[in-house]
Amino acid sequence: MTDGKTDVRNTMRAHDASPVDLPDEPGRAMGEGRRGLGWTGATILIASLFLLLTNAQALNGWAAEQTPSETMVRVTGATEGWLAATERMQVATPRAWLHGLWKRAQAARFAGQAPAAED
Amino acid sequence: MLFPTLTFGLFFLVTFCVVWGASRSNEWRKILLLVASWIFYGAWDWRFVALLILSAVLNWGAARLIDDSDDAVVRKRVMIVGVVLNLAILGFFKYYGFFLEQVGDVLAAAGFARDLPLVQVILPVGVSFFTFQGMSYLVDVYKQRVPAASLLDITFLMSFFPHLVAGPIVRAADLVPQLQATPRLNRGMVASALLLIVWGLFKKAVIASELATQFVDPVFADIAGHSRIDLVLAAYGYAVQIYCDFSAYSDMAIGIAALFGYRFPRNFDQPYRAASLQEFWRRWHISLSSWLRDYLYIDALGGNRGGVWYICRNLMVTMLLGGLWHGAKWTFLIWGGLHGLVLAMERLWREYRPAGWPVLPRWAGVLVTFHVVVLGWIFFRAPSFADATAYLRGIGANGAGGMTATPLQLVLILFGLAIHAAPPRLLQGIAGRVRTWPAPILGVATGAAILLVDAMRFEGVAPFIYYQF
Repeated sequence: MTDGKTDVRNTMRAHDASPVDLPDEPGRAMGEGRRGLGWTGATILIASLFLLLTNAQALNGWAAEQTPSETMVRVTGATEGWLAATERMQVATPRAWLHGLWKRAQAARFAGQAPAAED
Repeated sequence: MLFPTLTFGLFFLVTFCVVWGASRSNEWRKILLLVASWIFYGAWDWRFVALLILSAVLNWGAARLIDDSDDAVVRKRVMIVGVVLNLAILGFFKYYGFFLEQVGDVLAAAGFARDLPLVQVILPVGVSFFTFQGMSYLVDVYKQRVPAASLLDITFLMSFFPHLVAGPIVRAADLVPQLQATPRLNRGMVASALLLIVWGLFKKAVIASELATQFVDPVFADIAGHSRIDLVLAAYGYAVQIYCDFSAYSDMAIGIAALFGYRFPRNFDQPYRAASLQEFWRRWHISLSSWLRDYLYIDALGGNRGGVWYICRNLMVTMLLGGLWHGAKWTFLIWGGLHGLVLAMERLWREYRPAGWPVLPRWAGVLVTFHVVVLGWIFFRAPSFADATAYLRGIGANGAGGMTATPLQLVLILFGLAIHAAPPRLLQGIAGRVRTWPAPILGVATGAAILLVDAMRFEGVAPFIYYQF
């Protein structure tokens, strides 16, 4: 791009090109524009729903941390209800199981080291 | 509003829906993202949104004056005034207290103790990043590397929330051309973005937070109470922590910007596989090191023009100022000085190495470079110079006590180092496969990966190290 006065380096410098640019895949049409946006939107929506279902504890914890207000009391009530529902449906189990494994890894000690303090 | 929090997640979801759904007009899209960026910045302190806008208006106005003038003297004067004003903003918020403290110490030492007007200046988050962006923009317009941008574009460049508080330092040449047309998403860009975000979350929430809170911070807080092996491991641990912390922010910033259709340059490239300090700076915080190289080392100091000693002086000045950029502390200055000194020594060695002397094998160069970097990190992390020297003395002495690092912490340190042995561009290789997946499969995989990170993360979120800079 030139405007007669300025020689613009309108491409990113080669040494620090963006890590989100992938080489084109020959013979395969990759979603661009509206199709790409639709694919992205669907991916983000499904990931969000997956987390809403399996990680209700995070949502409830977030609600509990907010500044108390009438609205937040209602929100916290709703997230607590949702958490209880996901626990009844057993969809919260994978997260609890993984967290348990992580806690055990944190508590592991080498021989001769003092045991981990209880949470 | 920190990236790895649900508050930010909800903010992102709302912004994503509004920006992509509300309007197909590129100008309106930028305005919506600008408002979202100010809300994001205002979550720290609303007062500094005004500073951000003022800084953008200042740089826009100065660039317009430079661009409109055909008089070389006027153009240069306006550029200098603009750079000085940017430096004044940075200097006041970041260095005012430090400067007065030093003046007070000097006066006291000379027997002229005075009550100086100490004012508690709150440091606006990200001020070092957006003032550097402003300065490089003015220099680029002056040197006719970029045309003067519209007020909307320059405000967007300086305010866009993914890079606003901790970089990368995105230059006008990188972003402004992208602002001229409505961005389009493609699958490869989005697959890379999602991988960068999840990988960044893992590095920050699992590796950096666990190492910082459970091992590195306690060791640096009680140097005398820890054994030599703990001090050595905590120095390695900090090297892994700061890499996983800062590169995680950059990865997430690049990924989030990509989900809005914008490409940010790479900011980290497996820095601990560098075989020299010069190579390290081509891999670590690339947006800052290239900024210092282009605007300070080359434009202001003359770069490699002149003899080898002139080059060494320029390297030293650049790295000392690079150290000072991180904050008003002597330890940052020493950290920068150490890097400058070793860079100068590397330069002298290349210049005067006796013919026939063997060249260091690459693996040995990597090992030596890594330990020079770790030595620098001790000064960078220590609260004071006295603490840093006590730390080094502690490594030299054989202090009492055993090792307190746990098996998990050792695994995390080793994993953080092993990342650097992975094939270059591995993430892009994976993204190349992921982009062919149907949305439901990628959605579930992304959700499962975030769930895994959340199950492993340390309770609470520590701020990113580079927020303070």
